[in-house]
Formats: sequence, structure tokens, C-alpha cells
Amino acid sequence: MAKSQKTSVGRRGFLKGAATGAAALVSTPLAEAQTQRNGGSAAADGGASAPTETQLARESGNIRPPVAVRKITRPGSDLMVQTLKELGIEYAAANPGSSFEGLQESLINYGNPPNQMPEFITALHEESAVTMAHGYAKAEGKPMLALLHGTIGIQHAAMSIYQAYYDRVPILMIAGNDPDFIAAHTAHDMAGMVRSFTKWDAEPKTLDEALVAIQRAYNEAITPPMAPTLVVLGSEIQKDNAPNSKVPAYRPPEFPVIDATRAKEIANSLLGAQNPRIAVGRLRTPEGVQRAVELAELVGACTSTTATNGPMSFPQRHPLCGPGADTNYDYTLGLEAPAAQVFIQGPALGPIASSRDTGNIGFGGINGAGLGGGRGARGGPVGTRIEADAEASLPVIINEVKRQITSDQKGRIQERAAKNAGANHEAHVTAVAQAVEAKRAGWNGTPISTARLYAELWPLIKNEDWCLSSPSNFSGGHNAQLWDHNRPYSYLGGQGAGGMGYGAPASVGAALAARARNRIVVNIQTDGDLNYAPGVLWTAVHHKLPMLTVMHNNRAWHQEYMFIEYMAGVRGRGADRAHIGSTLRDPYLDYAKMAAGYGMASEGPITEPAKLSAALKRGVASVKRGEPYLIDVLTQPR
Amino acid sequence: MNCHLKSRLQAAAILIGLLSPLMMLDAQEGARGGGGVSPKNVPAPTSPVTGNPTAGKQLYYSFGCYACHGYNGETGARAFVGRWGNLATEQSFITFLRGRANIAPIPPSTSMPNFSESSMSDKQAKDIYAYIRTFKSTAPDLKDASALNAILEAARQEKK
Repeated sequence: MAKSQKTSVGRRGFLKGAATGAAALVSTPLAEAQTQRNGGSAAADGGASAPTETQLARESGNIRPPVAVRKITRPGSDLMVQTLKELGIEYAAANPGSSFEGLQESLINYGNPPNQMPEFITALHEESAVTMAHGYAKAEGKPMLALLHGTIGIQHAAMSIYQAYYDRVPILMIAGNDPDFIAAHTAHDMAGMVRSFTKWDAEPKTLDEALVAIQRAYNEAITPPMAPTLVVLGSEIQKDNAPNSKVPAYRPPEFPVIDATRAKEIANSLLGAQNPRIAVGRLRTPEGVQRAVELAELVGACTSTTATNGPMSFPQRHPLCGPGADTNYDYTLGLEAPAAQVFIQGPALGPIASSRDTGNIGFGGINGAGLGGGRGARGGPVGTRIEADAEASLPVIINEVKRQITSDQKGRIQERAAKNAGANHEAHVTAVAQAVEAKRAGWNGTPISTARLYAELWPLIKNEDWCLSSPSNFSGGHNAQLWDHNRPYSYLGGQGAGGMGYGAPASVGAALAARARNRIVVNIQTDGDLNYAPGVLWTAVHHKLPMLTVMHNNRAWHQEYMFIEYMAGVRGRGADRAHIGSTLRDPYLDYAKMAAGYGMASEGPITEPAKLSAALKRGVASVKRGEPYLIDVLTQPR
Repeated sequence: MNCHLKSRLQAAAILIGLLSPLMMLDAQEGARGGGGVSPKNVPAPTSPVTGNPTAGKQLYYSFGCYACHGYNGETGARAFVGRWGNLATEQSFITFLRGRANIAPIPPSTSMPNFSESSMSDKQAKDIYAYIRTFKSTAPDLKDASALNAILEAARQEKK
């Protein structure tokens, strides 16, 4: 291996000298004015100095960088990428930033083949990059990487990070820090900007520390309570030669598991009960879902599911899913969901949030109420809560059930399972009959009813491996009654913190997961939400993602419109001005043209219900070819 | 903490912390038939209409009636076609408009707002009523809504 030709002049010192020299040569009236305002010193008032023209010129690529003084044969960032590869990080989404140029160069060039595992995904906004990772994690149950530019990129991403934090979603984030470059892009404590809504962060000073920190950040992100984590990497440790460093051996995290005594008790109770039930909430990964199914089948328990509210729960149409033959349950076990007797639930995020809220911001509402309990703790009967990871505890319980079960019990369980399946089928048919009866309303009306939109889409996707990636709450939630949610990723649920600008980028993230797995993604996209960062449509085209976007175009931030109407009404001022500030009219937006501008095949607006099905067919056919498609549908408001 | 501040904080908590559940309520509307209540086929009222439906159409949009009742009165949070109730007569409609609560709750609300005479004249109300009375159900028989019918048939055929 070629030796580094590092000179005796430190890089930091060299760059400072170069910048000073260059600035002296190209000193301009603007630079002088800035100096004068600062009392003759760029940072005399203690604040960060504004970028000089030289710095800005360098940032915009208008002058050459300083002459290289070292030959780098094994940059530290290659080892960072190797670390990511060994963690199985599939994608790295980023809007480019000079503070991580070393790492970006390694991502696209290091490895054989290069730019795979992780593949660089080009985002047009950091908010989009993080929300892509949000959607990906909800579909796959594991993190991808979001890369953020120092200071400015982190702040662009802040809302998305907050939302993912609220949604308990694992995301690995890396931010660059280049203290020698533009002062406005650096900070003494880069992660401090988002510390209140990240689970863990670090700013390692050496490459070896950085590699450990990346592994630790990954582990912290995937360990309950799951949440985004952030590693800040200085530009020098990305770029410096690292002839002697190596990727440390990775040690997976230890998940909190129930103890053996508890497992025996639970197994005994499930097997001894005449009519057991298992309440299943949101588990961590698809493997957890598989284990929940295994347990339910072993004991013949009917189950509840949150699959129509979000990912990673019990298959909705599994024969055991439903109220069962008898709703007088004598033992209910909760898996990340409240239950009458015992429920296993991961640790809450609240205490971590409190310890990291050094600014006393109090995110999560009064007393951190929104973050205090674990997922699913709100409402329902309260039994004994065991703080552990349900998914990691399931194998222990399953083994114990297998050990305890008798042949007599097996026969009884089989009989009970058959009864439960029959009753669940009847309950399902009744529910569907009621739903379709209700959803006839407005069927032939113009504009198109949201119920018809969901109903017409279903026959086109039901035989595909599909994922509904966008929240459906603003478009009627009709999937809950009309579609079958049988896979861990069938429906990815809500935004997390109710923040808009989520649907499209989360769908792109879900489509990243889908692309490699022969799956298609459906994004029923509210119009207000799309307008936050529509550039993500370009990302979908650029990376050839199987994402069908169907606009729920009601030409408003409709929830807010209704709020304002009410407020004006109760104040006796009428509702005829409620549209001001809450609707998207004068002019109406043309989403088909917007998509076309980003290179996406599109059509619409479609207003006639009779024309909807054919358009949807064209859209599904397109995404099955790996080409994203947008259909603008003018809909009823809800 | 004074009551006002406390109220505001409570409002903030509801807005920020509980927005998702709020949306869930919305989704549950869907579960109960969001995008339309079950069509009852209750015949439309036959009481006299004195307003101008053309003017009423414009008012139905400008007052944002469509926001909660849909463009055709069949969809949204509070569909009314087939469930005419307070719309039985012109006068019952006006009485209903004037009798809504006029106290602003702390949490945001999408309930039907009050329309005092100063904010909507009797004439305007009568025009809107005249337009509403032109609404007719567009719900087909289930056999003619092939996508819905197929969903129900698939559920029936599903393996137990």
C-alpha cells in the first residue's frame, strides 16, 4: 500500500493559510465592508463570521480547491462505508453537502461493485431524505442512512427527525462537520440542534471512534424504544488516510427479554385458558409478526391487530384474527398492546426524552404526555405490564408453550381454532357488507368519492405484493374496511407527529424497500401534503421506483379549512372567508404537470368516476414496469 | 399557572401531542362509512322551496358547506342525502342554522358552526336550502358498483 505523503503542515493549518492567502488576493469591497462592520475583525463580536467571497466561490465551485498535499490511498470514509455495508445498510439518502464530501465520494466509489449496500439516493431536500428513511424503516423494520450537511442540512431535516422520533422509527443519520470551511456550516455541538428529538448522538474525534459510533448509533436506533440517532463526522476523519484502522467486529444489541419465570407463567396461562386472546400491536420487524402468528396458532387464540392502523402487526385476514367465537376472554396477552391480564411492552421514550431535553423544550406536550407511555399504552384494559421487547420475548414464550403443551391440549386448541376461524369469517363478511353498503354513497357523484378511489384500486393491486405507504386518515381510511392487510408492510400508518410533507417522501422510502423485493407501493397523496417538498417525485423517477401516486386532490389543507369554518361560525362571522389561507385555489395546481416537470409519467385531473378505473389500470401497469406514475384525481373533500 | 395559560397549554397538547388520535377519529369516520353514510333512501322532502337554487349553489361553495357535506351532500363527515332530518323544511333548516352552539371550544372542532342572521341572511339560507333540495342520491345498487360488489363476494368466498 502506498504511503501517505502527508506534509509536516497540518491540514487545518494549511487550509487556513490557503484561505487567508486567497482572500487577500481577491479582497473585494464586499469583503472589506464585512470586515468594517465587524470592527476590523471578521468575528470580533464573537459571532460567526459571514462567508467570504472566496469561501462562497469555493462552495459554488467557481475557484479551484487548494492544491492537494497528500496522496490518500485508504481514506477513512472508505472504512465508514465498509462499516455501513457490514450493518446491512441498503440505502443512503442525501442532498449533497460539502461537509460530507469525503463520505459521499466513498459511497459512490468504494467497494465492488461500488454504490451498492448502501446505494446513494439523491434527495432534493434533507427533510425528504429523512422521511424517506422513515418510510423505509416502517416497511422493513430496519434503518437506512440519511446524510445531512452540517448545520443547514440538519435544520432542514429537523421536522422529519422530530416526526420519526414521535413515530418510534429507527433511522441512522450522519452529519458532516467541516470546521475549516464556511463558519455558518459548522457548530461546536452540531447534534445539539436536534438532541431533544433524537435518541442518541456522538461526535467522535478519531476514525476509530467514528466506526464504533456508527455501530453504536445503529444499535441504539433499533433497540426499543426505537428512534433516530445521529453521528457527526468531522471532514478530516472522513478524508484522512487510515492505513492502520479497521472496522471493529460488530456486536448486535441485546433486546430486553422477559425472564424465564414470566415466560413459563404466560405459556401456562395461554394453554390453561378456555378462551385466550392475544392483542397484537406494532412489533419491530417482520420476524416479530411471524412469531406472533406462530404463537397464536400454537395456542389457538383469537387475536386483535393494528394492521389497519400501521405496520408490523398481525395479518388482518389470518383465520385467527378477529373477535373469535366467544368474546368473553379468560386470558388476554398483549404484545406491544394493552391487555387485560398481561402485556409485554418495550420501554417508553419519555425518560430518554426528558434526559436529552437540555433546553427544557418539553416536546410531547404537557409533562411529556405524548412520549411518556409506550406505543399503544393509551386506553384499553390495564393488566400487568412487563417492560420488555415483545418481539424478542416471543421465542422464549413459544419454546415454553412447546415444552408445556400436552396432546389433550393440542386437540382442544385445534377445535377452538376452527371455531374462532369460523366466527372471524362471519364477522368479516358482516363488516364488509356494512362497509360496501355505506360506500355506495356518492359512488357516481362528481368529483370522485374517496371510497370509490380506494374500491376501484383494490382489484388492481390485491393480487400484487403491495404496500400502502401514505396515511389514509385524510382520505377516508377506506382501506381499513375494503382492503386486506396481511403483510407487515401492508399499511405504514400515519405521519408520527401529524406533520405534513410526509406522504410522498415516506412513499419513496417504502418504494426503495419495494424495488428490491418485487413489490409495488401505493401512495394516496393529499394535495396539501405534496406541496412541502414535491422534488421527491424526481427522486422516484431518477431511481426508478415502483410508486403509484394517486392524488386525493381536494384543493385545500382541508382539516384546517374545517377548523377555520367552525371558528368563524362560533364567532358569528360566517364561513364565507374561511378559505383564506386554508385552500389551494386561484390558481388550482396541476399535479399531472407538476409530476411531468419532474419527469414522472402522469395524467389528470380526473373528475369523472367512470374514467377512474382505466387510469388506475394504466398507473398500476406502469409501476409494475418499475416506472413511477401519478394520477391527479379531483376528489370529494373527504 | 393561570387558567388561560393552562387552557392554551392544554390546547397545544391536544394539537401537538394528540394530533394522530385526532386523525384517527377521522379515520374512524371512515370506518363508519367516511365518504358517505349508508344510503337510507329516505325520500327527499316535498315541503315548499322559496329560494333560488342557482344563487344557492354559489353560496354552498362560498360558505364552505361542501367541506363537511361533500359537493353532493352524499359524502364527507356529515352527509345528509337520504338523512334529511333538520332539512325537512326551509324553516327547520334556518332554525337549525341559528341554533348551533356559539361557544368556541378549546380543542379545534369541525362541528357544524353557528350561522347567525348577521353572518348568513334568511334569504341566503333559503337559497342554499333550495340548492340542497336539488341533491339526489347517486348511490347505485350494489350489483352496479362492481368494485364494491366484488369486494363483498371475495369476503364471502374467503376460506374460513
